Amino acid sequence: MTETDPIKFRCQGVNVWYGQTHAIKDNDIDIHDKAVTAFIGPSGCGKSTFLRCLNRMNDTIDICRVSGSLLLDGEDIYSREIDPVQLRARVGMVFQKPNPFPKSIYDNVAYGPRIHGLARNKADLDVIVGESLGAAGLWDEVKDRLAAPGTGLSGGQQQRLCIARAIATKPEVLLMDEPCSALDPIATETVEELISGLGERYCVVIVTHSMQQANRISRRTAFFHLGNLVEYDTTDAIFSTPQDERTIGYVSGRFG
Amino acid sequence: MTEAATPPPDASFHSSEEAVARLKKRRSAETRLKLYGMIAIGLAALALVALLWNIVARTMNAATEHYIAIEAQIEPDEDDFLKVVKKSARASFPYVSGRTGKRELYGLFSDGAADDMRRAQEAGTLETGEAVPMRFLVSDTADLYMRGEFGALESQESAGGLTITEDGKKFVLRAQDKAFIDAVGRAKAGLAREADSLRQQAARQIAGITVQQARLDSVTGLEREDMLAQIDGFRKTRDRLEGQASALDALITGSGDTRLELTDRMASFFVMVNGGILKLTEVSADTALAVPLVPLDSADPVAGGAWTLRILDRPEVGRPVKDQQVAILETLQREGRIEEVANWKFFSLSDSTQPEIAGIKGALIGSLWTMLVTFSLAFPIGVMAAIYLEEFAPKNRFTDFIEVNINNLAAVPSIVFGLLGLAVFLNFFGVPRSSPLAGGLVLALMTLPTVIIAARAAIRAVPPSIRWAAMGIGASKTQTVFHHVLPLAMPGILTGTIIGMAQALGETAPLLMIGMVAFITAVPEGITDSATVLPVQVFNWANASERAFDMRTAAAIAVLLAFLVVMNAIAIILRKRFERRW
Ligand SMILES: Nc1ncnc2c1ncn2[C@@H]1O[C@H](COP(=O)(O)OP(=O)(O)OP(=O)(O)O)[C@@H](O)[C@H]1O
Ligand SMILES: [Mg+2]
Repeated sequence: MTETDPIKFRCQGVNVWYGQTHAIKDNDIDIHDKAVTAFIGPSGCGKSTFLRCLNRMNDTIDICRVSGSLLLDGEDIYSREIDPVQLRARVGMVFQKPNPFPKSIYDNVAYGPRIHGLARNKADLDVIVGESLGAAGLWDEVKDRLAAPGTGLSGGQQQRLCIARAIATKPEVLLMDEPCSALDPIATETVEELISGLGERYCVVIVTHSMQQANRISRRTAFFHLGNLVEYDTTDAIFSTPQDERTIGYVSGRFG
Repeated sequence: MTEAATPPPDASFHSSEEAVARLKKRRSAETRLKLYGMIAIGLAALALVALLWNIVARTMNAATEHYIAIEAQIEPDEDDFLKVVKKSARASFPYVSGRTGKRELYGLFSDGAADDMRRAQEAGTLETGEAVPMRFLVSDTADLYMRGEFGALESQESAGGLTITEDGKKFVLRAQDKAFIDAVGRAKAGLAREADSLRQQAARQIAGITVQQARLDSVTGLEREDMLAQIDGFRKTRDRLEGQASALDALITGSGDTRLELTDRMASFFVMVNGGILKLTEVSADTALAVPLVPLDSADPVAGGAWTLRILDRPEVGRPVKDQQVAILETLQREGRIEEVANWKFFSLSDSTQPEIAGIKGALIGSLWTMLVTFSLAFPIGVMAAIYLEEFAPKNRFTDFIEVNINNLAAVPSIVFGLLGLAVFLNFFGVPRSSPLAGGLVLALMTLPTVIIAARAAIRAVPPSIRWAAMGIGASKTQTVFHHVLPLAMPGILTGTIIGMAQALGETAPLLMIGMVAFITAVPEGITDSATVLPVQVFNWANASERAFDMRTAAAIAVLLAFLVVMNAIAIILRKRFERRW
């Protein structure tokens, strides 16, 4: 086990309620930096909910309440001193369904750096956009049509554009909620490669329904079931020697 | 996979007779629905075409105006141009005499003729000193006559000759071939009409008698005597009326040789001969008595074909343009001294009591200012309110209450906003009466709910994934709204705004309350000047008694529609621009 990786998120006693629904039940988890962590589990078990706790996107849901301590680099992200908007610049997010802005490809990527003042001038911005698109593996495909609308790209390209947009703000953490669920196998492969690459530089958390995908790209895997974190270990361990009955059932495809 | 709980249906299920019948029914229902839709669209299109055709046809009349070309001599420092017009008219038509004749002569010219000269004097383009050819604007009645509004002047040429004998101020005309027989017929028709109306009056007397006689039994004493006297009076009137009617009947049935006296209740008959115009005063089949309206060059007899009898079927009492005026206009027309030119003045003049110099400019500018005020209040306030309610407001009883009330406001009759404007803006805040500011404020109040409702719907229709995308990369709520949500909602917001503005543009009722119905002849120079607006102008002109306002009403409606079209076009262009961002 590579427990040597520094810990990025330290979460303890996290509970989430949607009104009366107890969606996350008293979970503890440490998420490591410069590695990919996968969240797996049956539908409705709370993977997305937990992911949204990490960048406080849950705040935008009126009925959602979060309790417990979530420390990002030792700092409680739910404390008063933390500005959720600022936090989301540090903890970027990619959604299940590609959602590029109805603007040009360039503006899609440049939007984050612009509002956060990451570029001092147009040249800086061009560099950031180029780098981000390059890191998302999209540069070669779109370099000639940066002014074309982002919504005009294919589904896989759009998702990579969203990833480029997320990394253009230079986040410390990248959260991805089923980024490949709408993609074909080839696009999936491209995105997976990309995520693996990103995992070497960022702290990446990915929610996935594909066990093969978790197996291929993540270093650690967390298995959720009915709001509980059942098992959390290295991916190898989860898939080869799962401890809990429920994990064994899920990874061997007996239920879910 | 679950096992199928029920056995699969019979393979022939979807081709059974029942299924075929169902299919047929469904298809015919669809066909019927399509047919209803087509009928509905057809009716709507028909109504629209009828409306436009009606307005355009009537507007065409207002598209031109008539001028009389005569000579005028103007002093360099002239200041009473009305007098100049009269003087020139007298000089050009010296044969028109008598007080009535002169009044009728002056009645051919509009006050606008004097205005034209004053404007020319101010611009320094007025020629003075010598007598120079000028163009004088005709009055509304003369203009209507030129357009045939009072019926056309029928022509009857005669193959037989005509002899003219002067008899004092009158002329005796003798025509061959009973040339006046048709005139006699028409005169008799006029007499018959008159006899009819006399008999109708007599019938009313009879009705009165019957009513009073029925009540006679129930009264006694003095009252009864009064009533008897009344009945007696009714009887006498009836007898007199019937006697008159019988006398007319006798005239009608009499032979064509008796000369009928022509009155102003009958058609007018003109004889055009020897360069002049005579008006018949008495007529029989082949002789007539006539007075000159335009003097003859000579009293020589003329051969057939060299003279014409012209008839204006509408009696003189029934039309504002008199026989003398008709004669002068016909003469001018023949001499080519009446010019019909495009009526550009309609756009450069403001309201007036005289239709021929009433223009739309004041109302147009007034509408422009008012709409400007309305837009610059209703749009930003409406959009901001919608953004707050949709994006920021907590969901609680208070915001629910506000929401319900905004929806209710949209259904409040517009005149209520007028009352509110009167009480609040005029009386409390002292906004100037009948100013575009006051009108704009009231209309903004009226438009606001529409804008808010449309803007909220448009904002709500923006997919939430766009909001998440923006917030996910650290955009604040405000940035999310203004950079992403609002641009996407803008087409919808503009659509709602234009609906509200169109409503406001055509609104009259609330503006009546704040005095925008006042008669204002000046073009407003700002939002605090007194002004009127297009729909109010239409309303005022439609109520005016002068016939000539009819066509100006139509023209004002056309301008109102054009204003609307321009406004819509701007909105569509803006909308297209925003839509392109998708
Ligand atoms: N906005 C919401 N309002 C109310 N309940 C919610 C909301 N979002 C999620 N939930 C509830 O919280 C629980 C967890 O949902 P969550 O979306 O986190 O599941 P998930 O693991 O991501 O499922 P999936 O794999 O299908 O995406 C579910 O029971 C769901 O009904
Ligand atoms: Mg989910």
